[in-house]
Amino acid sequence: MKERAQTPGGVRAAQLAILVLIWIFILGIISWIVGLLRLSLQLGDIPSASIGISLVAIPVFLLLLGVANYVFWGLRSAGSGEATSAPAEAERRHER
Amino acid sequence: MRSTEALGPDVCLLRPIEETGRGFYITAGILLLGVLWGVLAYGSQLSRGLGVTGLNQPVSWGFYVTNFVFFIGISHAGTLISAILRMAQAEWRRPITRMAEVITVLVLFIGAGNILLDLGRPDRALNVLSYGRYQSPLLWDATSISAYLTASLLYLYLPLIPDIAILRDHSTRHHFLYATLALGWAGTERQIRVLNRAIAVMAVLVIPVAISVHTVVSFVFSMTLQPGWHSTIFGPYFVVGAIFSGIAALIIFMVIFRRAYRLENYLKPIHFQYLGFLLLTMSFLWFYFTFAEYITAYYGSVPEEMKVFWAKFTGDYALFFWSMAICNFAVPMTLLGIPRFRTITGILIASISVCVGMWLERFIIIVPTLSHPRLPLEPGSYLPSPVEWGLMVGCFSLFGLLYMFFSKIFPIISIWEIREGREVSLREVEDRVRSYLPGEQGEDIAAEGVPR
Repeated sequence: MKERAQTPGGVRAAQLAILVLIWIFILGIISWIVGLLRLSLQLGDIPSASIGISLVAIPVFLLLLGVANYVFWGLRSAGSGEATSAPAEAERRHER
Repeated sequence: MRSTEALGPDVCLLRPIEETGRGFYITAGILLLGVLWGVLAYGSQLSRGLGVTGLNQPVSWGFYVTNFVFFIGISHAGTLISAILRMAQAEWRRPITRMAEVITVLVLFIGAGNILLDLGRPDRALNVLSYGRYQSPLLWDATSISAYLTASLLYLYLPLIPDIAILRDHSTRHHFLYATLALGWAGTERQIRVLNRAIAVMAVLVIPVAISVHTVVSFVFSMTLQPGWHSTIFGPYFVVGAIFSGIAALIIFMVIFRRAYRLENYLKPIHFQYLGFLLLTMSFLWFYFTFAEYITAYYGSVPEEMKVFWAKFTGDYALFFWSMAICNFAVPMTLLGIPRFRTITGILIASISVCVGMWLERFIIIVPTLSHPRLPLEPGSYLPSPVEWGLMVGCFSLFGLLYMFFSKIFPIISIWEIREGREVSLREVEDRVRSYLPGEQGEDIAAEGVPR
């Protein structure tokens, strides 16, 4: 893996489609949680349980979305440079 | 496509992807028959309703919920074991993490699918989406499993990226798939830093998420006032059982793939020895929690609790209970505790025994309690129907089949992690061990900046 492979348009489109699907999936779950929270508030149906769980679950899903985005864009923008065979070796070079 | 010479001895890890033997087709055919049986059974249940199962009042949960808890438990194989070993920098983890992570993702899908089977009509799941109430531990389950599934998928995918790039550059098949999933990986220093950072974040994140999932699964039972379920230690008891069965499932897959794909050079006896020790430790922990759980119920002697207690110890469910005790404690103790028996075959037998024992444990947690409910109902009984047996076989077959398919598309052992271990970690480990040891007299003090 000494050189970066040329990325054809189809591949790039498929990669973007995966990222969009991840966004839809995670935002869909967050919307579902928020929807249940709104419903419990409207009905006065012990909203504390919904608030408590939303406060834990939504940041976890946002963090997962953040990691996915970081990897997708991070790898694309960091694709040029000297290739190494092992990640730990690169870490060490960076530290030096 | 480039020459595979650059991969050195690890080129053999690509062989299962490039070549398919007769054994693969025979095994896949058998598993496909199992899946077909499951599909037919589900078709029967879908058209005739839950009446074709052995579920009844008061025993409204049976095989499906047992399988749900069992599969979710096994999912702890991967992410948790892999994440803990990765964070602890246990170098022997390298050939086993991928196998463990794949188990996690697949069984989560199958485990969650068992809830749909238990619903009878799958369209009822839409009610959970539209009108779910967060007072119910069932909805906590749905949320935590969704988080765990997303995290596990990401945690499986990230360490796969460098290997997918190897396949993109060297494989003759699925080029579009590999090129897409490789995300332009070229192995540059910056890319490696990005990937290492993301893997480190995920390794830290998945441990609490994994523990929360099985704790929440236990809450489905312990938040009720049912005899045998209303227990404060159910959370850790379930987590311990999950890790226990997860390690056992991982060992079984390691033995199968070691033999099928001739991976003896990668999955060495030392890997089985270390996992065997972990399994033995978990067996002791499981026994401790089981003992604590039952001695508390026995000492309290609440009449409703004692009905369930005696049903398990001497009544209708005694065979299952004592089989569980033998499978989860006596067999692993003997095979893993005595060095003469601690061979790969011995460890495999102990692992199969633990998987059977943990399935029985889930069964005897669920069914005896429902057969002897706290409410003044007649005691019930439960006999699974052929439909439930069919769906159970279908689920296990689907698990095996999907695992096989995964191994035909992606390397089942992480190639880059093995290379990293060979090229870099050998030196690093020496430095690390030196850093653990006390230095020469006065050296440590000088390093801390204190004058001699």
